[in-house]
Amino acid sequence: MKKLLLWIVVLMLTVSVVATFSLVGCKAVPEAVEAEKPVVEEAPAEEEEVAGSWWAQAAAPYKDVTIKGISESTPPSKYMQEVLAKSFMEETGINVEFEVTSWDEMYDKEIKDMEVGTGIYDFVYIEQDIIFSYLHNEYLLDMTNFMNENPELVFDDLDMDDFTSFINDFKDDEGHVYGLPFEAFLKICLYRKDLFENKEIQDAFKGEYGWDLRPAVTFDEYGQIAKFFTEWGKDNDMELWGTTVQAASHPSSFYEIFETILPPAGVYNWGINMENWKATSADGGAMDSDKAKEALAFWVSMLDYAPPEATSSTWDEVAASFAAGRAAQGWVYGENAAWIATNAEKSVVVGNVGVARPPLMEGVLEEAEAGEGYIGYYDGGALGIPHCSKNPEAAMLFIQWVCRKDFQGEFAKAGSRIVRTSTFDDPIVLAMDKEVDGYYSMFKNEGYLYKGAPPFPFHATIREVIYTYTIQAITGEMTASEALDAAAKATNEELVKLGYGK
Amino acid sequence: MKSTRTAWLFMMPTLVILVFIGLVPFIYVLYIGFFDWNLFSKIRGMSWAGLNNYRKLVFDSDFNASLGRGALFTVLTVSIEMVLGILLANLLMMKIKGIKFFRAIHSLPLTVAPIAIGAAWRLMTLPGLGPVPYYLQKIGFDFNIGRYAQQAFFTTVIMDIWHWTPFITLAFLAGLSSLPKSPFESAMVDGANRWQIQLHITLPLLKPVILTVLFLRIMDALRIVDEVWMLTGGGPGTATRYIGIHIWRVVFPKTDYGYGSAMSVIVLYFTIVLTWLLITSVSQSRKEVAK
Amino acid sequence: MTGKGKRVFIYLIWILLSVCTLFPIYWLFLVSARSRIELFDSPTFFQTTFYIKNFTRPLLNDIYGSYIFNSVIIATGNTILVMVCAIFATYALSRYRFKGANNIFFWTITNRMAPAAAFMFPIFLLYSRVLVIGDISFFDTHIGMILVYCLFNLPFSIWLLKGIVDGIPISIDEAARIDGASTLGIVWRIVVPLSAPGIAISSVLSWIFAWNEYLFAAALTSSDARTITTGLAEFVTIVGTNWGEMAAVALVSVLPALLFLGFVQKYIIAGITFGAVRE
Repeated sequence: MKKLLLWIVVLMLTVSVVATFSLVGCKAVPEAVEAEKPVVEEAPAEEEEVAGSWWAQAAAPYKDVTIKGISESTPPSKYMQEVLAKSFMEETGINVEFEVTSWDEMYDKEIKDMEVGTGIYDFVYIEQDIIFSYLHNEYLLDMTNFMNENPELVFDDLDMDDFTSFINDFKDDEGHVYGLPFEAFLKICLYRKDLFENKEIQDAFKGEYGWDLRPAVTFDEYGQIAKFFTEWGKDNDMELWGTTVQAASHPSSFYEIFETILPPAGVYNWGINMENWKATSADGGAMDSDKAKEALAFWVSMLDYAPPEATSSTWDEVAASFAAGRAAQGWVYGENAAWIATNAEKSVVVGNVGVARPPLMEGVLEEAEAGEGYIGYYDGGALGIPHCSKNPEAAMLFIQWVCRKDFQGEFAKAGSRIVRTSTFDDPIVLAMDKEVDGYYSMFKNEGYLYKGAPPFPFHATIREVIYTYTIQAITGEMTASEALDAAAKATNEELVKLGYGK
Repeated sequence: MKSTRTAWLFMMPTLVILVFIGLVPFIYVLYIGFFDWNLFSKIRGMSWAGLNNYRKLVFDSDFNASLGRGALFTVLTVSIEMVLGILLANLLMMKIKGIKFFRAIHSLPLTVAPIAIGAAWRLMTLPGLGPVPYYLQKIGFDFNIGRYAQQAFFTTVIMDIWHWTPFITLAFLAGLSSLPKSPFESAMVDGANRWQIQLHITLPLLKPVILTVLFLRIMDALRIVDEVWMLTGGGPGTATRYIGIHIWRVVFPKTDYGYGSAMSVIVLYFTIVLTWLLITSVSQSRKEVAK
Repeated sequence: MTGKGKRVFIYLIWILLSVCTLFPIYWLFLVSARSRIELFDSPTFFQTTFYIKNFTRPLLNDIYGSYIFNSVIIATGNTILVMVCAIFATYALSRYRFKGANNIFFWTITNRMAPAAAFMFPIFLLYSRVLVIGDISFFDTHIGMILVYCLFNLPFSIWLLKGIVDGIPISIDEAARIDGASTLGIVWRIVVPLSAPGIAISSVLSWIFAWNEYLFAAALTSSDARTITTGLAEFVTIVGTNWGEMAAVALVSVLPALLFLGFVQKYIIAGITFGAVRE
């Protein structure tokens, strides 16, 4: 009996040791690219004979290699995971394990991998705001050099010039590219056309506020519309409120404040003066300026007219709320505009979505048009290759696959994102434009008014510092004014600690 | 006669592992606390900061606030749990049929992963989804832990009570059942009533158990992270940002390694002090009881 | 109150308490059984249909299945490692006099009590930078996690077992020695069988602890060795609407603990209190 016990223990020990070491570094379960029924059609098969054979050939030395990548679980990334990765695998025989996870987790995993150099990921999602940090810390492979050294891996129709100016965000001072964009969109305002065009509502609104109901142009107008619809919803027993607010006690609220609400108040680059690296107005910054405080106070007051889930809403929930018909207007990322306006399986407001510029304070539009400022957030991301990747060649091929010109139309339809100028004229996009109330035209014609996040290598750290205070403004623990004062002061201190400014 | 070499040999694996996992990291964290180190600072790498981090921590209102919140949370949860636990232990002492069954159910929360507990409570209190806000709404009470700091705080307290009261109960049960009979018998002979017995005999005899449990709970409550993280993420605002969550946020998303290490060292210091208090007071009370 | 009335009263209290205790878990079950649309209706307490997709998609089609697998490997591996080390260490501590054993005891308790946040970071650095040979590091490996959990499980297994081993009279050892047994033989043939119940208990408790742990797993793994508890946290901001799947995964992660419940409830107190309180 005792011998048996001994043998059992030894057996289990051996098994677990063997299992452990055989699993170190490799995947225990087949890749996770099984998808739910994709909502869009497969990537077009045109030119398959000519283009297809180039890809298969170029990938021949890497057949059966597995590359691993990580991205955020948003519509464009899911499209890549569900459709593009699959077609790539079929065409080239390279396995793609595309991990799609939450924003927090994605960053955590990516940064750890690249900082530590473990080489877990072969391609990573680089959001427009974090590229500066990655460049500063030299996490990424220089794609320009890589492509020059490996011309056989470069697709002849890659056409780098066709990319919109968005790609410039992913270049270093010498113009070398570190990521190829796969998604870009504006954060605009969506509104409920059906409600705005309803005669009864229009009359009631005019009666109460004295002007004709239309998408808001100023903060005051936005506020009035929000109040009106919240009351309307209550009076008519509807689950309807006046606006969405991205107010979870989570970094997402920071982004809505600093990239979508403060710029319309003329506060750019988070209110940090990029000459002396100060955020307090006493030292030349603007974070605690009166305009900033006014804008933040306005935004916080909008919580009164937002559905109850607003204080638990990050980007996804805001889109979901709007798509569930719970808000009459909202600041929503363009990547969600397409599915909210067209996908009946996920949205109840299909066909009733209007697109408008976010409300602005006086003079800001003129500043933006003159190139001195901006009115909102031009967001997006690229795929890049970590320095420590073990399969950069195969990863490079996959990234180019995702950037294929002939895929962009369907891709745009699925994820309402555009990264190539040629895509604006793609028939699919033109057709979609009407269904999305001209969002793509707006993107094409007014994209220049929007800007991405400021080029701060310390992006994540300072965000953590600031958002600790802004979330207290959301709950009322601090007033908007106090929150920005505290945030500006803390930012000054932290920047000095990081080596910026004195 | 006993070969101490064999003894050390036997202890070797354990000591090696513990030194590797326990001592080395502690020394490391102590070391890093003296530097300024942020992954994304202008000049990469560590730069000497001496006692600066510690000096700053003393005045760091965020850090102190999170310590304070954690302390308040601890006081509330532990005191309520102790009282409830003792009461329930008495109830469980009854020799009625099925008591074993109830006891098993009652100890369920102790085995569930804290993060799953947070998930379950979050699902219960989610506006629009959970029964708690829904039914409270019906009686006119606006329950939204994403919005109201007080509510979120009290929800974490209640969740912790749900989680840990069984611990107190079972500990008392264990303690009660191992008490010697003689003091009770003599008390009964002397004509003491139930409450007198409780107060003057049971509780003093249980002092070691009470102290052990009290200290363990205090230390565990101070370092809570998983459940609260899952339930509120530290929010709304900073209402439920207890010290564990605060340190985690400073070290990982903020990548402020130097400062985070200094924080860890201070918290570790408190832990050591508390542990020392625990051990001395328990062994002290054991001696008293033995008399 | 009459004897009978008292009984009824107590039963009522216990039923009420049991409902309170079980409700959150029951709610998890309910949510996991509902599809997205059903979830946005008003929350009811009974369910007739069962939306199995909430379970099958994450566990079979997505990465969570591998997370469970990792959890199993790590928990089991850790338990075995801890048991082997603890048995030897306990024997040594019980039979031999060590100077400073008390100090070591104090130090190990401190490790157990320290906030995970304090240790997470240095161990992360240790694993990812310091202990690196070429391409291989301890970061995101099963063996790395197995070692880390020893921080908690080793001390308490030792102290749990020590009481039991102390109770085995030394005379048995000596008798065996006279018969020609080596020390190793004594450990395997005498101590282990006699302390089998204690070994079983600390195994179960260690296993459950390793299975339930979140913070270290979140800090020290990325994708290869990620455990199910960390996977659960990943759901939080993923897509706010997929509560059904999150509940399903949570329920699965709770299962092992439920299975061991009857077994555990008697001994969990001794475990948590380092044997200070026991029946």
